[in-house]
Amino acid sequence: MSDLLHGPLFAITLTLLAYQGAMFLYLGSGRTAILHPTISGASLIALALIVLDQDYHAYYRNIDWLTFLLGPATVALAVPLYRQLHLLRNMAGPLLITVTVGAIFASASALILAWLFGANQSTLLSLTTKSITTPIAIAVTQDIGGITTIAVASVILTGVVGITTITWLFNKLDIQDDRLWGFCLGLAAHAIGTSRAFERSPVAGAFSSLALCLTGAFTAVFVPFVSHWLF
Amino acid sequence: MLAGFLTLLGCQLVGEFVQRALNLPLPGPVIGMLLLFCGLCIRGSVPKDLESGSQKLIELLPLLLMAPAAGVFFLGAGFADQWPAFIAAVSLGTVCTLVFCGLLIRFLQRRNSDL
Repeated sequence: MSDLLHGPLFAITLTLLAYQGAMFLYLGSGRTAILHPTISGASLIALALIVLDQDYHAYYRNIDWLTFLLGPATVALAVPLYRQLHLLRNMAGPLLITVTVGAIFASASALILAWLFGANQSTLLSLTTKSITTPIAIAVTQDIGGITTIAVASVILTGVVGITTITWLFNKLDIQDDRLWGFCLGLAAHAIGTSRAFERSPVAGAFSSLALCLTGAFTAVFVPFVSHWLF
Repeated sequence: MLAGFLTLLGCQLVGEFVQRALNLPLPGPVIGMLLLFCGLCIRGSVPKDLESGSQKLIELLPLLLMAPAAGVFFLGAGFADQWPAFIAAVSLGTVCTLVFCGLLIRFLQRRNSDL
């Protein structure tokens, strides 16, 4: 009986079930940020493992081939990036400068704050990729020797904080241009931000996906070089 | 869709190969993404198979991320003292980034339209 719980069949069934449950919760709640499928799905998996008294690492070994698909998913991001390319016209200068400076700011601000609050080196390494979309973040983090799980957690928390605060923040700053609104959200809060931007308007969504791709590409090039030199 | 999938895997494979051959500090999938992007720019359009294959994969991202994300609950005692720094850095850092980028892009945009 218990050998069933240790096999891939149980692991994949549990994961798909958690995904369906998470989508149900997320869509049923009207896309509440805190119930984003990655968060609610992960919680459902954790809950099931704890209730059934299963070891997380044993479960993960049975499902890690699913994580393998993050590789081709990263390559796939070239398609939306190519589709958004025309948006760069007229605004190329401001957008490219903001991506370059903003992506450095996103990594650096998290690193400095974490260092001030006394984080250790592996936590610091795992935070450098917090503002880029998860598949790229995982690839980079594994490359520079951070902890995948913490990298994923920081990416998701970043997304949730981004979409829950942007409306208030940008009302205060009086930035209402959908192009700027979407671009900043995609830059700071990647895919979670992008799905929120599409809810505001198609223009905001397009600029958000453009920012997501540019930030991801730039950070992926930049972080490994800097971390080799820094750590 | 499968043909599109093959393109994605092929780009990743070439990316991984380039990374090892040149010993680049960039992840293989990221090199693959840049290669595919260049390929699309040269070709001038997105093949239908690639469009549907990549869209499927991007839609399923939350599913692919759930299992690693669940690890947060099992980090153990070793990470317990890191939580305050982690949460503070991520939350404050994200709010600062939004404000910084908002102000910067508005400034640049205004200067751009003045020219």
